Amino acid sequence: MLKGKKLKLPDRLGSLVAGFEDKDEDSGGSGSVSELGEELEILQPTGFRSDRESETDDDHDHNEVQEEEPMVKRKMKVDAELEHNGRQLRHEKDGLSHISVIKTIEVDEKRSDIEYEISQKEINLEKLQRIASTGIPEGGNLRATVWKLILGYLPPSRDLWEKELSENRKKYAKLKEELLLTPSELARMKEEAFQSNKHNNAHNDTAGPLIRHEISHEDHPLSLGKASVWHQYFEHTEIAEQIDRDLQRTHPEMKFFSGESSFGRKHRESMRNVLLLFSKLNPAIRYVQGMNEVLAPLYYVFSTDTDEKNASNAEADSFSCFVLLLSDSVDHFCQQLDNSSVGILSTLSRLSDLLKANDEELWRHLEFTSKVKPQYYGFRWITLLLTQEFNLQSILRIWDSLISSPFGIQEMLLRVCCAMLLCVKSRLLSGDFAANLKLLQHYPEINIEHLLQVAQDLTPDTS
Amino acid sequence: MVLVLAIGDLHIPHRAPDLPPKFKSMLVPGKIQHIICTGNLCIKEVHDYFKTLCPDLHITRGEYDEDSRYPENKTLTIGQFKLGICHGHQVIPWGDLDSLAMVQRQLDVDILVTGHTHQFKAYKHEGGVVINPGSATGAYSSFTYDVNPSFVLMDIDGLRVVVYVYELIDGEVKVDKIDFKKTATAPSAH
Repeated sequence: MLKGKKLKLPDRLGSLVAGFEDKDEDSGGSGSVSELGEELEILQPTGFRSDRESETDDDHDHNEVQEEEPMVKRKMKVDAELEHNGRQLRHEKDGLSHISVIKTIEVDEKRSDIEYEISQKEINLEKLQRIASTGIPEGGNLRATVWKLILGYLPPSRDLWEKELSENRKKYAKLKEELLLTPSELARMKEEAFQSNKHNNAHNDTAGPLIRHEISHEDHPLSLGKASVWHQYFEHTEIAEQIDRDLQRTHPEMKFFSGESSFGRKHRESMRNVLLLFSKLNPAIRYVQGMNEVLAPLYYVFSTDTDEKNASNAEADSFSCFVLLLSDSVDHFCQQLDNSSVGILSTLSRLSDLLKANDEELWRHLEFTSKVKPQYYGFRWITLLLTQEFNLQSILRIWDSLISSPFGIQEMLLRVCCAMLLCVKSRLLSGDFAANLKLLQHYPEINIEHLLQVAQDLTPDTS
Repeated sequence: MVLVLAIGDLHIPHRAPDLPPKFKSMLVPGKIQHIICTGNLCIKEVHDYFKTLCPDLHITRGEYDEDSRYPENKTLTIGQFKLGICHGHQVIPWGDLDSLAMVQRQLDVDILVTGHTHQFKAYKHEGGVVINPGSATGAYSSFTYDVNPSFVLMDIDGLRVVVYVYELIDGEVKVDKIDFKKTATAPSAH
């Protein structure tokens, strides 16, 4: 039955493509750059896509994909339904209503699968991971809960959730109290604890010279001593200013983050607290530009949780998950470690090796012919977990796969990066240094499901 | 948390060449939000120096100031507190608490910052506070030659003020603090 449908589609290609181009024109600023006139691998009905596939001439990879096409196509349609912000997908609904019934059923099935899994007393993480890596449906708090489970924030036994959550949130509040208060607030709290009686007496005097108290530990605002609370506070104002500046620029097209509404400001303040706390707890790396981008999807997902209690504790939860997420890649941010075996350069060379193992021709072209080294494009891809390359919805979908991948986040990330290169192979092969660099630094819009499928099917680098 | 520097009576260049180096090393830009200056700087260079520390600068005229455009007194509101500035040479007898209290009532402020005597003082009376930051350079005054350089930094936090007094005694910087709270319903002093 599906074959029959495949045959029908090519007839409608013309109108669909035309429809698509119109939509493309008026979908401005969704955060990712879509170059006009160069649609290429962007999601299309299967028939159209198989045309495109012939351009990417990789043999075995794509034969496998061809066989899996019906599944992938369905998933792609599922993705289409789920991409609220993906304006480029709207045209599909017009022409393909006869498939929409199938895709709605697919989504509902997946949703109930996931709900079933997380309602178990002892959750089977492996199974959950497998479902999650095909994409988590929107709506409810599925994504938030699944991410928390897989990242290890929530324990797999459901009974322990309440306890864990409240403990962690309390810990976070305590940390905030210790590290984020201004020195004058700290001093005030100390005073209130010890000297309330003395104070009252002093202030009942109607006149006379005010009592002078000695200061301990260089505890005055102009202190230059390292141990002084004030000195440490002022050292961090620079970082705080940097964080504020970056937060202003996070996802400016989304009301959630930007704008002067109290809503946007509250979110920015929460994110500011998380980042500031992180920088204080990690003096070796402190804050690096871009951490705000990595935090944004986490915080967004947790704040849009339909469970009231979870949404209001989004700050505490996203802090812990931010730490968990960055736990293996935090070394990428440290400049001193750049050249070491855990640094970014070593990861980039692994990306290069992975590409070589999968597509030597492209690798050779990039490395030698057009001399586009991975440092030029891959640095941002890897350190920021691809948050700067796609719009928020796509990032959420990609992160579903990254987080739930059995290979581990970093491994999967390398695979996705490699897949990104493979998907624009034809353009890369025909481009020189400047064109390739421009392409890779402004990665075009692409069918995310296709990208993730390619990533999934890569041969691992066994060297 | 608003940091306000109260400083004055430097008498540069007539009676002193510059701020003591230990004071200068502590006064760095970026920490202080407001500067209140009682007067007698006396030249423009000192004014510019203060501007580099903090752009929000309030000065009143002392009798030796070369710039005659500074006002005789000034009031400003910071947080919950109303502050008033007056150099003090106009108030006779100089440094007399009751006369200063009159100025405070006239300006209707919670904290009056005044100078001229080159002696640090902090008095509480009748619902108001008078602070004299002394002379930041230790310049001699009409009363005495023996003046310790001093200035004041106020940390205004809601209804509470912590006053940090910086004095240079025998070449060492000594810091004390004083705190007081404004009573929530301050009675009118009339």
